[in-house]
Amino acid sequence: MEALDHRQRAERIERSIAKCGDADHEMKIEGAMLAGTHWVNFILHRMGVTKGDLDVMHSYMLTVNELRKYSVADAEMMAAIAEIEDIRPAHVRGNVPGGPAAAKRALELLATLRAKAHKLSV
Amino acid sequence: MNIASHLDKIDRFERLRARLDTMGDFELWFWAAMNTGTNAVNAALHHAGATIADDAFPTQPGVYLVPGTDGKLEPAFRPPGDVLHVGRPKIEGKLPEDVTAMMQAMEIIEHHRDPCIRGERDATPEIAAECAQALEKVLVLLRQRMSTPGKAWKP
Repeated sequence: MEALDHRQRAERIERSIAKCGDADHEMKIEGAMLAGTHWVNFILHRMGVTKGDLDVMHSYMLTVNELRKYSVADAEMMAAIAEIEDIRPAHVRGNVPGGPAAAKRALELLATLRAKAHKLSV
Repeated sequence: MNIASHLDKIDRFERLRARLDTMGDFELWFWAAMNTGTNAVNAALHHAGATIADDAFPTQPGVYLVPGTDGKLEPAFRPPGDVLHVGRPKIEGKLPEDVTAMMQAMEIIEHHRDPCIRGERDATPEIAAECAQALEKVLVLLRQRMSTPGKAWKP
């Protein structure tokens, strides 16, 4: 997928996240993962690290070499998307207390990714 | 996860899905529907005694976050509890017909996941309707199953 398509999809998902309420912490986290992954791909495409035919889907599915390579491009970006992914088992698939706080953290990480992407936007 | 928690998530996901615009919010609408269906299948599998209802949360097939001795969650191998998606992992053995039908309906939804959410295929009202219809079937079957006595998991 091309960079601009990633941007459009990330922005649409973020508009949907805004419709989530206090009881919707799981979908805030999932939305942060989906939109955040689009921002990661936007950034990697814009930096010329990957092209439109090679999109990251989940950080935990990357090979060690891919993770190292993308971390050279932006280590904070890869740490942010990995942290969002790490929130999911306990708070989306699980019922561990603290879901709303976990969602707040996921949205903070999403904001970090969005800010990085905006710096690369024309 | 226990059945009550699965049902609680289903209730909240469905309330959110009703507030979202099917096409304008398609990604999150779809994701809520898929999560609703996956929780329904997990609840049904637990109810049928096919998987364990436990405080163990899947990270990948076969690996679950479980409370360690200090109470913090740690990854560990566990027998089948919650599936991440239908088929991940495949639940071995003969399953009740209604649970199999739920899983088949979920396959219809999952079929659209990567192309429409990760890929470049634009969602259409027809795809959304197909997913909504499949999910309704899953929920009808879940309600029927939950109105009958459940079984405990036996290894």
